[in-house]
Amino acid sequence: MIKETMTPEQRVMAALRLERYDRVPVIPIIGQFATRQYKLSRKIKDLDTWQSIEAIRENFDSLGGYDGKIVAGLAWPISTWRTNAPKGKRVLPGEKGISEEFSVQYDEQTTMTVEDYDKIINKGWNAFCEEYFPRVTGLSLEEIERRNKELLDIYLKDAVYWKQRNIPIIAGALVVSCEMTLSLARTFPQFTMDLHRMPDKVQAALEAMVPDFIDNVLRDTKASGVPWVHISLERGSGAYYNLKTYERFFFPQLKKIVDAMVDNGIYCWLHMDTDWTLNLPYLRHLPAKKCICNTDSITDIFKAGEVLKGHMCVMGDVPPSLTKLGTKDEVVQYCEKLIDVLGKEGFILCSGCEVPIDARFENVRAMMDTARNYYPHR
Amino acid sequence: MSELSSALANLEEEKVARIIKQELGTGKDSMGVLTELRKGMDEVGQRYKKGEYFLSELIVSGEIFKDAMKVLEPTLKKDGGGPATKVVIGTVKGDIHNIGKDIVATLLKGVGFEVYDLGIDVPVKAFVDKVVETKATIVGMSGLLTPSFESMKETVDALKEAGLRNKVKVIIGGGVVTELVQRHTGADAFTDDAMEGVEIIKKWSAKSN
Ligand code: B12
Repeated sequence: MIKETMTPEQRVMAALRLERYDRVPVIPIIGQFATRQYKLSRKIKDLDTWQSIEAIRENFDSLGGYDGKIVAGLAWPISTWRTNAPKGKRVLPGEKGISEEFSVQYDEQTTMTVEDYDKIINKGWNAFCEEYFPRVTGLSLEEIERRNKELLDIYLKDAVYWKQRNIPIIAGALVVSCEMTLSLARTFPQFTMDLHRMPDKVQAALEAMVPDFIDNVLRDTKASGVPWVHISLERGSGAYYNLKTYERFFFPQLKKIVDAMVDNGIYCWLHMDTDWTLNLPYLRHLPAKKCICNTDSITDIFKAGEVLKGHMCVMGDVPPSLTKLGTKDEVVQYCEKLIDVLGKEGFILCSGCEVPIDARFENVRAMMDTARNYYPHR
Repeated sequence: MSELSSALANLEEEKVARIIKQELGTGKDSMGVLTELRKGMDEVGQRYKKGEYFLSELIVSGEIFKDAMKVLEPTLKKDGGGPATKVVIGTVKGDIHNIGKDIVATLLKGVGFEVYDLGIDVPVKAFVDKVVETKATIVGMSGLLTPSFESMKETVDALKEAGLRNKVKVIIGGGVVTELVQRHTGADAFTDDAMEGVEIIKKWSAKSN
């Protein structure tokens, strides 16, 4: 094992600031995988939030620990409801005839109408949510607020636990990008048609969302006391939309949000599933050394390292197919390659999005061990 | 390219609807209109290959094509286009993601395949039964989650058991399928790109015809 001279927090902050660290930090995204490992007979749908938190703690230890925590439990409880729009129906394993072996899924359905764009434009996002959330969830505003408070309490308790263990939490708020929020609420094909048929209206709605999104995240990070925001960017990439669309509709809103966060001393963890290879140069227009570019194995991460060199920390990207189907040696080889090419500075080793529920334990463990044992850049 | 083909290729929704109405009104047969639409869809594919079009343009062209088909279908003769290659497609058992699969199904129809879309969470047996019933030569399976890899494998195994494996080509698709997944499931090809999938299926179809 490499002799460690930094705390996990120092290591992660060094990665963010592109300074030297004692070894590459490793932060897997783990939720369902832990519950599967923990008491194998337990079915996910029977595990409540506290049980899943316990499972994640136990899993943390059995993996030999790692350098940063995402959030508590399976439920991503930090996000207040307005930053995380309802996205169709959640289908749990065991429901609707789906096997217990499966993972959580979403049934993406239209929850927002074309007229809703006008409401967002005229009233702003938060005011729109006061009618939108009750309409979609069937819950009263009071009940939504109550549940949200309950989740925040759980989060705060769990945060104390990790603080005592000196493990930094790198998500004090969660926000889904403006375009992804609309894409999930309208469905991906329908949102794409809206962009084609009524571009000005969609643009106006996207722009109208920004001020409330900023306020919501500032309020959430204040409530959690953690100066990090996780921004989900999944539906706006160059795999789906051309760069003209990206420049006009998506990037300006992201930049406004990120700039506001950085002005308020908050770091941004940009969670970028799907293929963002074409969009990478835009990230150089975001503030230097305050953000993480986190890709999911579909973006060319080596290209990300090249394009963002000297500007932004890169985080990724052990593919889900590899942790599930590969051998331990293949996982080690891949992690070593990441560390060889990207790891000198400004890199965090991570799973490509979430560690799959059915990943092999020894493969996930091998990922942690490689970070602990392999650092050829001293 | 005809005006209709290029209107579709340029994603001009209203113009496509207008020309179709005109052409049908002046007695042009619907098969002729469909052929022009397919040329338009082919052009969309060409532009995608050249990097001029992205997935969003494929979605828009697919929606325009679907709307046009609603107008044409009542008057289309079933045997109008000669023997088309049959493709059975579905999202595998346990997985309920439909968006990617639907896009591929529309694109395949757009370039002239006869597509049997079994929907989502499709039982292994349903794939096998449909191949037997239709004598389809191509099976497309979609899945976004890692547990879906097992369902894909089970489906390929069941095709084997039914003695159909050497009669069909199997392609798997979805955000995180890789070569490793192709090997694990025993499929013949994999892709995370709808148009690439259509190209592979076209090649298979050309070989078998
Ligand atoms: C948007 C998204 C979400 C949305 C929901 C979207 C939805 N309707 O389910 C939200 C944010 C809610 C979400 C939640 C979760 N997600 Co998610 N999500 C994605 C993401 C970023 C994009 C999926 C998408 O919308 N694709 C759009 C369509 C058009 O693309 P597609 O289906 O891949 O189809 C294209 C091609 O693959 C191809 N194709 C598809 N099928 C076929 C078939 C044939 C025959 C052919 C030829 C081609 C073909 O053509 C299409 C067009 O090019 C993917 C990442 C990724 N790289 O795929 C993760 C991903 C699917 N999610 C994942 C996970 C884990 C989750 C969660 C379980 C996380 C959690 N713990 O809560 C939940 C619930 C699971 C779920 N997705 O339902 C994992 C699943 C893999 C795994 N680890 O098991 C992925 C792959 C991320 C990753 N790299 O790990 N997710």
